[in-house]
Amino acid sequence: MIDIVGLIAPNIFWILAIVIGGTLISISVHFISVGGAPAAMAQATGIGTGTVMLAAGAGIAGIIAAGAVMDLNQNFGVVLGAGGVGAMVMLAATMIVATWIYAYGVGVMPVSAKVKYDPITKYRQDLYVSQGTEGHGIPTVAFVSSLLGGLLGGIGAALAYYALMKVGTYAYSGVTPLEVHNLNLVGVVATFTIGFFFINSVIPSYNIVGTIEGFHDPKFKRWPKAAVASFIASIPLGIVAVIAVGALAFAGGL
Amino acid sequence: MTEQKMIPPNTLMAFGAVGGLVGVYLAYFFAPANPIFVVFGALGAVFAAVWGADAVRRIASYGLGTGVPSIGMLALGMGIIAVLFSLALGIGAGGPIVAFIVSCAIGAIIGIISVKILGMTIPIMVSATTEIAGAGALLILGLGIVIAGSLDYAIFVKEVVTTGFIMMIYIAGGMAMLHPHNSNLGPDETQDRLLALSAEKAGIAVVLSGFASVAGMGAVVITVLIGIIIWYYYFGKYYGFVKRDAYKVVDTGLLPTEEEMQ
Repeated sequence: MIDIVGLIAPNIFWILAIVIGGTLISISVHFISVGGAPAAMAQATGIGTGTVMLAAGAGIAGIIAAGAVMDLNQNFGVVLGAGGVGAMVMLAATMIVATWIYAYGVGVMPVSAKVKYDPITKYRQDLYVSQGTEGHGIPTVAFVSSLLGGLLGGIGAALAYYALMKVGTYAYSGVTPLEVHNLNLVGVVATFTIGFFFINSVIPSYNIVGTIEGFHDPKFKRWPKAAVASFIASIPLGIVAVIAVGALAFAGGL
Repeated sequence: MTEQKMIPPNTLMAFGAVGGLVGVYLAYFFAPANPIFVVFGALGAVFAAVWGADAVRRIASYGLGTGVPSIGMLALGMGIIAVLFSLALGIGAGGPIVAFIVSCAIGAIIGIISVKILGMTIPIMVSATTEIAGAGALLILGLGIVIAGSLDYAIFVKEVVTTGFIMMIYIAGGMAMLHPHNSNLGPDETQDRLLALSAEKAGIAVVLSGFASVAGMGAVVITVLIGIIIWYYYFGKYYGFVKRDAYKVVDTGLLPTEEEMQ
């Protein structure tokens, strides 16, 4: 049996960081333009897959970027930035290729059904929505909104990753601290962060009932509910994660 | 398929929870004597997957609005966190049962949050999220012990987590829980067909984790063999159910050749 109090006491700050990371992930999902199966058939605006898949894809890209950078540079800002940029790159690549397919393959133009004028380009939208659809493709405002979502989600994931790495490399009394290059530590931390990311991207996707266009969508106003839900859900998850990663540090990284 | 013929949720819950835990514990206690006994862990994982698929079926038939995969990923996410935590506690034989309980507790918390804060109106939300979390934890434990041959935290981390096989368990195991409802949903959905598909998918997960096993050649051979048998048997059963439920199954033949097209 490991010393649970001795593990949690020095890491209260990092538990808080994990909780904030989870809340950021939850908010980020509201920005990402997801249309679900209808979008895949060009009958709704957004990327044609589920919220969880997309947010998790972006989050995992962020975790990979953050993890790769953390191996070289343990600066807080650099790791968070790498996570945010990694997730943004993944989303941008997904969206631009999807836009080519919608434009040149399906033959529809990117248009939003939720607003009359695109808030960014000021282009008229409603005239171009095909009858019987909820818009199609990824218009500029949805693209920009999704990038913001990727940034937030990536930062959230990187924050959780960074916090857990700090927990693992902390110098507990009577234990040689682990290095950031320890593969077992990286494996456990990455696995936790991914599980954590999945949970925190499912909660907001229930909140938006599966589809959202971005920050211009009326559903976006619901985000505080999901943020509170994820904040509360992340507290036990953060504590549990800190104990498991701390136990690895106590075991000397195996 | 009439409603009376369905297996009631409580029976499946007992079948999955008891079967899963017994499987994991049999593997846990007998694997040190002979590693081929890890195959019980694989069987436990199959039980858990079938239970989880039924819980997903019950909750997702209310319409989650987010697609069925989300709930499968949620289940395995909760399971992974609970399993790593409980094995890290270093309480030996208590590990699996604590993992199961912790996972159920996390599931209940998420369920209560969904109902109270997000205002989801699904009546079985709390009980079903608890069930899928428990099933997810048992699935990870069962397939994990097949790969590592032990549930010792050090060995589990080294052989399952650091090697990355945990992600294979995550997705292959998640498939066994989420895919059956995702592919069978609709007005003509029947429980036995869905559960047969779940067992078939779990068989594939068992074969994959058998290949990844480091518990010794005997364990690899017997797990892969059992996995293939499960897969073959339930694929046949599933196909039988499909033929029973379909109005007609017709052979479309091969794609026409170029001459035939003209």
